[in-house]
Amino acid sequence: MEIRTTFHKKLREIQDDILIMGSMAGKAITSSVRALQERDLNLAHKIIADDQTINVKRFEIEERCIQLIATQQPMASDLRIIIAILNITTEIERIGDYAVGIARIVIMIGDEPPLKPLVDIPRMAEQTVDMLRRSLDAFIQRDGEAVKKIAVEDDLVDNLYDQVFRELLVFMAEDPRTITRATRLIWTAHNLERAADRVTNICERVVFIVTGKMQEIGASKY
Amino acid sequence: MKMNSELLNRNATINNNVKLSTKGVNLYYGSFQALRNITLDIPQCAITAIIGPSGCGKSSLLRIFNRMNDLIAGGRVEGRVELAGVNVYDRYIDVVELRKRVGMVFQKPNPFPMSVFENVAFGPKRHGIGNRAELEETVEKSLRQAALWDEVKDKLQQSGLALSGGQQQRLCIARVLAVEPEVILMDEPCSALDPVATLRIEELMRSLAKNYTIVIVTHNMQQAARVSDMAAFLMMEEDRAGVLVEYGPTSELFTNPKDKRTEDYITGRFG
Repeated sequence: MEIRTTFHKKLREIQDDILIMGSMAGKAITSSVRALQERDLNLAHKIIADDQTINVKRFEIEERCIQLIATQQPMASDLRIIIAILNITTEIERIGDYAVGIARIVIMIGDEPPLKPLVDIPRMAEQTVDMLRRSLDAFIQRDGEAVKKIAVEDDLVDNLYDQVFRELLVFMAEDPRTITRATRLIWTAHNLERAADRVTNICERVVFIVTGKMQEIGASKY
Repeated sequence: MKMNSELLNRNATINNNVKLSTKGVNLYYGSFQALRNITLDIPQCAITAIIGPSGCGKSSLLRIFNRMNDLIAGGRVEGRVELAGVNVYDRYIDVVELRKRVGMVFQKPNPFPMSVFENVAFGPKRHGIGNRAELEETVEKSLRQAALWDEVKDKLQQSGLALSGGQQQRLCIARVLAVEPEVILMDEPCSALDPVATLRIEELMRSLAKNYTIVIVTHNMQQAARVSDMAAFLMMEEDRAGVLVEYGPTSELFTNPKDKRTEDYITGRFG
């Protein structure tokens, strides 16, 4: 029979909010790449404005974690969950910032003609958002094995990044007039590559919750 | 004389949700001043914890709300102590009726040497309920509220003293609930219990706070932090009189206290 139901209810509510925050950041990443594909400046501005909500949510979650630490004396797995949440909320907040970074690039590009149809960048976004969603599912499920596999998938995003980089390098070498536009696309890909790295950090925190061990898994080559 | 029901409307509240309040209260035991100028408003249907070092007057403050200090020779209260806006030290107040409305749970579980059933039925019987069916209903309801029913429903006729310490304390809480109080005062209710029984009582307090105003005195700061909505920090002045240093939401008092003395106490720098 569970005794500390009030405390555990509060802890569950914070975890629900992590899921909500994760879904906001995931949506921001997807939207940022769509804004790039469709040259949708309004959407880009909206992503930047909406990031405030993610930032506020992060502080709110941190505040609630501090409250629980100060008042509830969490122990063992409860303590690890709260410490992990403090880290995970920061990682998600940064993923939101990468979406903002891409949105700013979209605004910078404005109505310049597209350099090439985007293929790998949307794939990077899709893979990253999928990893984020599954890592947070695993966080709720306390699935230490699932997150180890997700973290390894960061290599897929790194490989796509390599591919984008090589392809754009060829464009720039063949026609220096493309350098500005190509560089902006490299920045975009870099933002996505970093976002995926943040997901691997989330995975590491889930391992910490499950095992109590802090270990790096699937270190990114970037 | 019975308390005037108009004066003391059961649901009367003042200042939004203030259930109990003290205004400039001084408490003396003979020439010794135990409390000095205590002013605080205790919200309805919430848990308020009183913390502070030993001897700072925590229990004395608790006991003024149901006039338990009247029982101490030389005890004298100045200032106003209000229950739902009415001065409980008014000469028209029936103290027995007051203690029915403001129940108390003590440090050491103190069941009467009688059956579980009779322990809980004792108060209602004293207050005039003679009907067996009604008593049974009250006993079951109170034991359920005290989260004890499932453990004792098959041994209602056994002695209350045969229960474990934690169960005995919940029995005492059921005994208080049976007379349908509005306020429950708890004086170190868990200090004689093991950690699991303690957490069980705390969880019970959280569920009772939906319907009752609870004031708890505890020397266990962590317990105050875990269980309360509001917290009051008392300490002694040089003449050993207790003063209220800080009073506010528990979430603030334990994360960002306003007074340096509170900070020093809760961080273990004195006490």
